[in-house]
Amino acid sequence: MTGWRKADWLTRSGLVCLAVLVLVTVVGTVFGIGGDPDAMVGPRLAPPGGEFLLGTDELGRSMLPRLFEGIGTTLLLSTVAVLVTAVLATLLGVAAGYYGGWLGEVVLRLVEVLYSFPTIVLAILVAAVVGPGQTATMCSIVLITIPLMTRVVRAAAVTVSERDYVTSAVISGAGWPRILVRHLLPNLSGTIAVQGTYALSVGILVEGGLSFLGFGVQPPQSSLGALIQQGSTYLLTAPWLVIVPGIVLIVAVLAINVFGDGLRDGLEPREARSLV
Amino acid sequence: MRIPRILCAVAATAVLSSCSAAPVSDNAPTSEVPGYLAVADEAVTSGGTLDLQMTVDNGAATGLDPQLADVATSWQLMSLVYETLVTVGPDFSIEPGLAESWDNPSPTEYVFHLRKGVTFSNGRAMTADDVVGSFERLLAGQGVWKTQIGPVEKVSKVDDRTVSVTLSSPYQPFLASLANVPAAVLPIKEIEDGSVDITREMLGTGPFVVKSHRQDVSWQFTRRDGYWAQGKPSADTVNIAIAGQEQARMAALQNGSADLVMLGNVDAPELLNGVRGTAVGTQATTDFYYLMLNSNAPGGKFDDPRVRQAINIAMDRRAIADSALGGLGKPTGVTPAGLPGSCDPAQVPSAKAGLDRARQLLREAGAENLTFELAAYSTAPAPAVAQVIQQNLQRIGITVNIEQLDEGSWSGKVYGEVPATFDAALSWFAGYADAAMVGKWWNPEQAGFNVGFMEPNAELNTAIDKAIATPAGPERDTALQQLCDAVDTDAQMIPLVTRPALIGYRSDALSPTLYATEGYGNVLRGIADFRLLTK
Amino acid sequence: MRLFTWWLRRALSAVVTLFLVSILIFAASRLMPGGFAEVVLGPFATPEQKAEVAAKYGLDESIVVQYWLWLTTALTGDFGISMISGEPVTTEFGLRLPVTAQLTLFGVVAAILIGVPLGVLTAVRAGGRRGGAALGRLASGLGVSVPEFVLGSIVVFLFSRYALGLTVGGYVPFGEDPGGNLRSMLLPAAVLSVFVVAVTARTTRDAVLNVLVEPYITAAIARGESPGSIVVRHVLRNASIPVVTVLTTVTAYLLGGAVIIEYLFNLPGVGTYIVQAVGRRDYAVVQAGVLLAAVVFIVMNMLTDAAAGVLDPRFGSAAKGRKR
Repeated sequence: MTGWRKADWLTRSGLVCLAVLVLVTVVGTVFGIGGDPDAMVGPRLAPPGGEFLLGTDELGRSMLPRLFEGIGTTLLLSTVAVLVTAVLATLLGVAAGYYGGWLGEVVLRLVEVLYSFPTIVLAILVAAVVGPGQTATMCSIVLITIPLMTRVVRAAAVTVSERDYVTSAVISGAGWPRILVRHLLPNLSGTIAVQGTYALSVGILVEGGLSFLGFGVQPPQSSLGALIQQGSTYLLTAPWLVIVPGIVLIVAVLAINVFGDGLRDGLEPREARSLV
Repeated sequence: MRIPRILCAVAATAVLSSCSAAPVSDNAPTSEVPGYLAVADEAVTSGGTLDLQMTVDNGAATGLDPQLADVATSWQLMSLVYETLVTVGPDFSIEPGLAESWDNPSPTEYVFHLRKGVTFSNGRAMTADDVVGSFERLLAGQGVWKTQIGPVEKVSKVDDRTVSVTLSSPYQPFLASLANVPAAVLPIKEIEDGSVDITREMLGTGPFVVKSHRQDVSWQFTRRDGYWAQGKPSADTVNIAIAGQEQARMAALQNGSADLVMLGNVDAPELLNGVRGTAVGTQATTDFYYLMLNSNAPGGKFDDPRVRQAINIAMDRRAIADSALGGLGKPTGVTPAGLPGSCDPAQVPSAKAGLDRARQLLREAGAENLTFELAAYSTAPAPAVAQVIQQNLQRIGITVNIEQLDEGSWSGKVYGEVPATFDAALSWFAGYADAAMVGKWWNPEQAGFNVGFMEPNAELNTAIDKAIATPAGPERDTALQQLCDAVDTDAQMIPLVTRPALIGYRSDALSPTLYATEGYGNVLRGIADFRLLTK
Repeated sequence: MRLFTWWLRRALSAVVTLFLVSILIFAASRLMPGGFAEVVLGPFATPEQKAEVAAKYGLDESIVVQYWLWLTTALTGDFGISMISGEPVTTEFGLRLPVTAQLTLFGVVAAILIGVPLGVLTAVRAGGRRGGAALGRLASGLGVSVPEFVLGSIVVFLFSRYALGLTVGGYVPFGEDPGGNLRSMLLPAAVLSVFVVAVTARTTRDAVLNVLVEPYITAAIARGESPGSIVVRHVLRNASIPVVTVLTTVTAYLLGGAVIIEYLFNLPGVGTYIVQAVGRRDYAVVQAGVLLAAVVFIVMNMLTDAAAGVLDPRFGSAAKGRKR
């Protein structure tokens, strides 16, 4: 893979971190390592080690399976939401950038409306209207990430549609599906991928924030945000309840961000120059 | 007896065990005086500013009218300004308040002798007319407390300092019901001549007056000169900050910016253990969690009493108390555990039946593999209680989906529609100061809030009526046990465990008076005695 | 003249956006299940009491009429009365806005004083020592990856448990006690700044990197200008548009309320007010709060465009000449 060799160590380690995280979670969940995440099997707030590798929470549940479930929930919700965002933002962005006109106006206006809602308030409103839970969390992530992505895709679509090959395709009478699939999408895919990674990190943070405020996934389902929220009052007596999911969350977001940076640098090569 | 087998088996071998009892910590206040967690040191000079932090403000939309106040936080705040004829002392004893003594010539007759020298904060002396007028206003108004003060037939002024109350039938909780803020003595003259709007300002006989209030942010009360009790209140100023987040309140206590805070986390005593100068008191309240099973639920999920009884049997109250409430709660029947005469929750029918019986009941009702939604508040420890319930019911094959809701969604869902459309809901009651009082809410026709989800049960209503009418003694204990049994069998609103109140305070800055028990959610009952050590 | 029409267009579209926001927030607040009456009056309220409250706040009218009444009175500056406190919502927002504004100010000042220099520094050194670039990326990446609820919880815990000089909570208005105000605001501002500074640094770094490859920089290097002079004379000016954009976006974002920070440090800002109002169905507060945030956001965006026009005269025409 040329991409792999071209990428710097940071981008590679980001990708490796993510892969490891996903792998560990999938293995942990599939094989049920640590037992039932919801069963109250142990003493409350037991420290890590022995029977409970990562200790137990305030209801005496083993943290290891709860952590697996938590990572899985957070990553899955964010990923699904961001995929939805990507599809919608591409459609809207292309519509606004390539077709423009009144359609473009409408799209831009809608995006602007969403953009001007304060983020957390928007998410909480969604949770209040839809009812808190997975659906609300995903809807919130979509609504929060879609404005920026649509704008960026639109800007890219404007640039691409001015290129000569698109103009000549139009002149030669190519239909819009052909132009979309043959010319626009391939040239937009890089932008979408980069924006997607950033949206993913935003999504994880939104999920965490919502759970932290009590509007996230419903108990007993765990998510990284819910775990941190529950553990945050026990920083003194049971710091492992926050430290482990906290580190995992930070590593996940960081890995996604540096990977996104690397991806973008790879797509828009820019010769770094030093002044000193 | 159902004990949390799984929990204790593991705990026995573990080093960190908090399964069987409340966590023991060094900073739990110990008082020599029975009935108190702490008694203020009267040797300390009075004066100073008392800084408190509470979790929520009063429900201000009903205004500041004490007769309409229906939540414990409102009672607590209003008790700084308003006073009642009688009050609740340690261990739920009824003590003199604005009435210095009373006679009880017959079970339906009470004569109150009013205290001398009591004035409202505008300087006017309280008279028997204020007392009579307050009763009449309460009985004519829309406040829910008129149900609790019982079958009052006639209130009359005997002379300027004597008031007589006639009941239409004996009502044992009468005095206890008068000890709560909605039964406070109001400045009737000013209310009638329109010089004060008590829905917007507070004018009472109590130790403090309101200086300022910002909804959901803060209150400031100042000491009132001319308060009837000599040398009280001790503090010059009381600042109350409303802080919704537990972490913020813990922080304020630890860094000393608050002298006393209400805490929600059941592990607070342990979390503050070792913080020099802090103490955490655990007040045994009569408040208790209960599970509502909507007998009008969609699909008739709970209209068969056998299904409800099966759920009741599967409730492991010990596990709820130990896991969700850190060992600080107590299993309870409908007569709140801890109140004199309250029934033994281990003796109700559901406690004597086993899980097999529960499964059998479900089979008979054709409700195996039942799934339902449980609506719970998102404030701790409600989600924890809901999760233990979920685990309890898994044992008999019932799947519970928890819906953790904000205040608006929860109340809309539970109280908003008649008939109600939710499946099940979790909440808590203040348990009041007499064992039979809260049981009255099990009669939907009297309570009102549950008409949408609770079918009246004639047998249960008879038990309620008998419990409130029977005078104290062995006969009453039997009546209370029968009330518990009737509620247990009806199983539409299932009592679970009591809800402790945790109070953190700076033992290096404050010498408070805190009762060991409380029925009206009023942690600040002794506030006029609080002494400030450093300010 | 072209500039004038561009601004007119801009203002018109802002009005349209605000109008759409008002519809959306109104609809959303009425779509929330559950009722104001149960929250406001408690479980024991009678149907008559509920009807009385509904009539008092005009909630017995049809939705369209309610919306129209709200919109028309809002245009006169009257945003209604909070059902919880019984006070006009503008009074409470007036008291809370300074808190949020102060947090925002601290955040933006930190972004300018720390974020921008950091971004420039990591950019101009990007091609230098091996690994230096990666480290800069990692540091600013870490800043945007640490959620405020994690960092905030830890800070609250550490500073309240151990006497580290700064206090958690205990907010006092600046006018009452400037010293106490600063002590209570420093920690929340610091937690908030981590993200803001990191975002600014990342954007600045990107912008500077993009400028550094321009031919006029090459020319300047060839002329033998000193690195400092190049940064000041060429780089900063040409990299400023994205930086200004991110700063104004951050400002607007923070003015919308830093909900989690406000909760953790018990600050009476606008964010917690709106969130609490959502939970209690205090419609007037939710509607006014979101509309307020939207106005701030839109005005900020217009200011950004204005600044961009000043910084780069080409920008105004570019913005106007939307293709197709």
